[in-house]
Amino acid sequence: MARVELRDVVKRFGKTVAVDHVSLEINDKEFFILLGPSGCGKTTTLRLVAGLEYPDEGSILIDGEDVTYSEPKDRNVAMVFQNYALYPNMSVYDNIAFPLKIRKKQLGITDDEIRKSVTEVARLLRIEDLLNRKPSQLSGGQQQRVALARALVRRPKIWLMDEPLSNLDALLRIAMRAELKRLQKELGITTIYVTHDQAEAMSMADRIAVMNKGRVIQVGDPKEVFLEPRHVFVATFLGSPPMNIIECVIEAIDNGLLLSCPGFTKEIKGVSSDEVDGVKGKVYLGIRPEFISISKSPLPGTIKGVVYVVEPLGTENIVSVNIIGDIIVKVKVGSDINVNTGETIYLYPDWKRISIFDSDTGKLLTRITKQLREEYTEEAMV
Amino acid sequence: MAQKNKAYRSIRLREFKRAYSFLLPAMILLAIFVIYPIIGTIIISFEGESSLTLDNYIAVLTEKSPSKALILTDNIGKTPPWGALVHNIVWIAIHVPVTTFLGLILAYALVHVYGRSIVKSLVFLSMVIPMVVGGLIIRFIFDAQVGVIPRLFSLIGLEGLSRTWTAYPQTALFSLIIGSIWLWLGFSLTIHSAAVDSIPKSFIEAARIDGASELQIFRHIVAPSVWPATLTVMVMTLLWDLKIFDIVYAATQGGPGGSSTVLAYVMWLYFARALDYGKAAATAVILTILTLIAASYMIRRSLRGG
Repeated sequence: MARVELRDVVKRFGKTVAVDHVSLEINDKEFFILLGPSGCGKTTTLRLVAGLEYPDEGSILIDGEDVTYSEPKDRNVAMVFQNYALYPNMSVYDNIAFPLKIRKKQLGITDDEIRKSVTEVARLLRIEDLLNRKPSQLSGGQQQRVALARALVRRPKIWLMDEPLSNLDALLRIAMRAELKRLQKELGITTIYVTHDQAEAMSMADRIAVMNKGRVIQVGDPKEVFLEPRHVFVATFLGSPPMNIIECVIEAIDNGLLLSCPGFTKEIKGVSSDEVDGVKGKVYLGIRPEFISISKSPLPGTIKGVVYVVEPLGTENIVSVNIIGDIIVKVKVGSDINVNTGETIYLYPDWKRISIFDSDTGKLLTRITKQLREEYTEEAMV
Repeated sequence: MAQKNKAYRSIRLREFKRAYSFLLPAMILLAIFVIYPIIGTIIISFEGESSLTLDNYIAVLTEKSPSKALILTDNIGKTPPWGALVHNIVWIAIHVPVTTFLGLILAYALVHVYGRSIVKSLVFLSMVIPMVVGGLIIRFIFDAQVGVIPRLFSLIGLEGLSRTWTAYPQTALFSLIIGSIWLWLGFSLTIHSAAVDSIPKSFIEAARIDGASELQIFRHIVAPSVWPATLTVMVMTLLWDLKIFDIVYAATQGGPGGSSTVLAYVMWLYFARALDYGKAAATAVILTILTLIAASYMIRRSLRGG
């Protein structure tokens, strides 16, 4: 059992606010990922949980116990660092045994028991053959496993990981993702994992907290943050390529709102401007490249554009389409669809997947988005 | 294939010629001012009445007068004089471990201290002072009238240590050794500081999360990580102690009664006071051999590129 709770935590470094009123709840056995660009405060948040930094405001609870200002060693957490932090002067065995050896007296364990624990963990991570080597004689992937073993040998309540895969090459990183996820599920250790790699976050997390500028922008399971971004930042940070964002003008008309975007207009019925408090003028219309289809003939409701560039990715192509002026929309299509640069094509967005954001705050305009989507759900039913 | 080899060789030859044309002026200077004097000194050290002998070495090593003896065998007491070579060894035995350890401890302790660069520059100041001036300062520090240390001991009531240290054979050598710790600590601190700073922060943080105490972190992580630096400091300090001359010259002149002589000072006495060049050269060769033994480790390491 290990639940972690952050309540309104603030951490400042001089004048910079690294962590800005962050509140999070991480459930038992959960694989929780803090995702964000560099400098967004995700690592600082992790270090606050580890006890390597102390917050200026707020509190941190592990299993309901306030650990805000307690020492790292009293929190029963283990951390895997980006550079693995393997001690170069010790063998792999000594590295893994280190957390047990230094607390031998407190834990009341014998050398035999240490040996047993180390062997057990080494077997779990398939590094039994490497125990006598020095870290410098290991490959990146092996070092990674040793670091994981060291973090595991103590049977900690919580695993903290600070970009543990980012020093590995691309293929190994993908292999380790799956393995790490399996291991975490198998052992059922509550894990907080920091990364800037959205693919890593999407593939491993039970839940993701997207952070930017010290704040948590959105918390949700991978599908949720991908499909239902609550903020334009989340929309543009996740996905490859990220969500297309088009600047549009919104205005009230007789029985609803009129969305005027470059190259097309859209009526949203059943909502009045009063209902969308204070939204006037500019909004952002967001649509993921995955949810736009391409047609070569002008079907009704399509948007005309000219192919700007085609990037083949093997199983799919990313087509950049110039709608009007310098507005470019990216579309992900199957590689069987052949389009050429300069060709005129017609885009058909899946309106059920569209999001509309406030241009000032960047927040999702829930009412308008919902209304727009509902219209198409109904339409589809008709 | 043969043609290719020929072309390759001619390129190598051209590079060789070019390299040596640049090196030649420096090599000529080295030959005149370094290699020739070294060979000259070695020859002088073996020169006797008529032929080459070992007389100078035997005389130097068996010298009995306390002010010039390398190893004093007669009337040896509990306090110096013990002979210059023994003084050097005592110096090394105290100075090397103390300076090395203090420098390491200070370097690690200062990591956590606000304004550490000021402390570091203060300690490093002793490295900037010319050693002759350092010797004079040592004399003042241990002076009964103006010195800090005798005053401190007189406050405690230790009569034996509240007089001018450099004036008594019991304390002269130790005042120099303690002074040299202060003068040389800056070196140890600077080298260790650089080494401590280069330990990845995550090493220490990982150990802290794993439950290591500060002492355990120091013992298991910091000290082993800076070991190459520590070794360098130890060897350099040892070499410095072997070659030590200027602070002895400025503070005690090897006195009183030869109780603080060192190898280099004895060499100088033979050379500048007795004008006995043969013995001076023999002492110089002995000193050089001792330093070479100590330095061989460093030389081997730098040849390995370590």
